[in-house]
Amino acid sequence: MTTETEATPTRDLESMEDIIIAENVDKWFGDFQALDNISMRIKEHEIVVVLGPSGSGKSTFIRCLNRLEEHDAGRIVIDGIEMNDDVRNLNAIRSEVGMVFQQFNLFPHLSVMNNITLGPRKVRRMPKLDADALAMQLLERVGIPEQAEKYPAQLSGGQQQRVAIARALAMQPKIMLFDEPTSALDPEMIKEVLDVMQELARSGMTMIVVTHEMGFAREVADRLIFFDEGSLVEEGTPQHFFENPQEDRTKLFLSQIL
Amino acid sequence: MVDMPAQNPQRIVLPPHRERARRPRIVRLREWARRNLFNSRAGTFLTIITAAILALIIYGVVYFVFVDANWRVITENRWLLFAGGYPMDQEWRLWFSVMFVFLLIGLTYGTWASLGRRDHLFIVLASGFAILLLAHGGAAIWSTIWYLIAVGLLYAGYAITIRMPREAGPGRTLQQRSVAGLLIAALPIVLIVLLAFGGARPRELEGFVLNLVLAPVGIVGGLIIAIPLALGRASRMRAISWTCTTYIEVVRGAPLLGWLFVALFILDDVIGGELIVRAMVVLAVFTAAYMAEYIRGALQALPHGQSEAAHAVGLNQFQSMQLIVMPQALRISIPPMVGQAISIWKDTTLVTVILPLRELKGNADSAIAQFEFTPDRIEAYVFVAVVFWVVAFIMSRISQRVEGSLGIGER
Repeated sequence: MTTETEATPTRDLESMEDIIIAENVDKWFGDFQALDNISMRIKEHEIVVVLGPSGSGKSTFIRCLNRLEEHDAGRIVIDGIEMNDDVRNLNAIRSEVGMVFQQFNLFPHLSVMNNITLGPRKVRRMPKLDADALAMQLLERVGIPEQAEKYPAQLSGGQQQRVAIARALAMQPKIMLFDEPTSALDPEMIKEVLDVMQELARSGMTMIVVTHEMGFAREVADRLIFFDEGSLVEEGTPQHFFENPQEDRTKLFLSQIL
Repeated sequence: MVDMPAQNPQRIVLPPHRERARRPRIVRLREWARRNLFNSRAGTFLTIITAAILALIIYGVVYFVFVDANWRVITENRWLLFAGGYPMDQEWRLWFSVMFVFLLIGLTYGTWASLGRRDHLFIVLASGFAILLLAHGGAAIWSTIWYLIAVGLLYAGYAITIRMPREAGPGRTLQQRSVAGLLIAALPIVLIVLLAFGGARPRELEGFVLNLVLAPVGIVGGLIIAIPLALGRASRMRAISWTCTTYIEVVRGAPLLGWLFVALFILDDVIGGELIVRAMVVLAVFTAAYMAEYIRGALQALPHGQSEAAHAVGLNQFQSMQLIVMPQALRISIPPMVGQAISIWKDTTLVTVILPLRELKGNADSAIAQFEFTPDRIEAYVFVAVVFWVVAFIMSRISQRVEGSLGIGER
């Protein structure tokens, strides 16, 4: 069933451990059910793209994975750590899970350098020199080392989002969550961010990406997941999705977006 | 080939505004006046009326200041107005404090801002005012010299710091931290210089010196109380948020005058102590209630993504508050906070009405109570008003600059 296409790198995901386990997760906002009985397993090094119309619960789901939202029922396990009220567990999970937001959410009062080094220095107690070296290395990786001393407002949207990726990577996470990382960008800046994400995917990072960038989904994803009205409607390889979707809701969504 | 005159590179056509700028100043002035002052019949009429009113006011002020007024009520009571009961043989402590604060202003401006032409003009004018006051009558020639040294220190501190590189780096960080540290330590240092080691007793703080001590204590103390108060009010724990809300609503519900009565009568039984300390407590507690609300407003204005991003990089609740949320909230709340600071600065005069504490306005009352000066009430109060305005103006200018320079990286 999982026939690898040429675009997908040949990787032996089957033998990998499950790094994210979600079982029967429910989430309510007052009377509104945002997530309805979501279960999924994601393997280490897997690239998962989450699709769905707005309000479908896809953002809520990935925000549950580092507890920016608390799930109301079910179970979430990240790299063997149970997500519960234990603060030590939460801190352990958060330092393993990096997140990139739609609105970048850089800290406007800190320079690019300090945005990146803050986490390592305050959470990992890394000495300043080491943290600075790490930050420069990451800025090289996302292609903007010359912006280190600037403030976020002095950068373009694409540059800001690349800094945000570097900031998340500075904690050396095992998993990266992307919540519509290119939706707030001008069209000409989308590619520079997607390129960085693609490089990250090749490096073996486990990634969960909420996006509307179908090109990225088709090329990079190992698996696509379609959400609608809080439920997981369909999942499969890019090939399955783009050539042979089964559910009517998936077909409708894809016909609107492609 | 090159016969087309349009391609002649020698011919430079000035853009229209440049051409206009080249005409004589008087012509430009005339045109400006026609456009802005006499552009229509109604405009001309309004301009003339306004000019007439302005002329009357200016004439009245100039006549009062230079002809009508008898400023001896000020010059003869210089010490009473400024220091009152402060022991005269400890005068050096006052001047030391003035010099320290002036130096600090210079250092601060040099580090985070720069002095513009208007700032220099203001310093010159304010200094002229001060020197006129200090030197008049000749007796206090040393005061003038001390004052000039203080201004010299302001410029010296400015000259040193303005030359230091502004680019981020270890040197810059050290400079910022040192100046910030001095700013934080300034109030305790001044209080120690004024009061400790053989200085005055607290009750001997009087006149302008008292205003200058009360207001910063109220403002700094208020800020220190306000931060936990704002956080408490925003807290999800009901007992805490309810307590903080009650504090804020109760304190804001009564005028400062009322709270000063409380300090005078009720606090006397509860905590006792020096009147001036009780007045300080009341000012700080009162200011805190207002500042807490400004901070709370700023906390709400801050995008929620900021604390989410802080959590996402692994910061805990306290770190997120300390490193991400509070610095930004405090910056947003600078303008209303300065408004509150200026307001509490002027409200220090209320202390005189209620308590047997004699601040500037109170000592101005004493000055005109002398038989010889009773006709010079207006002079005394005008003087008090000008002094208050000068300080309030300095506060507002500095805050504008601080705001501007903190604005780097503002979204």
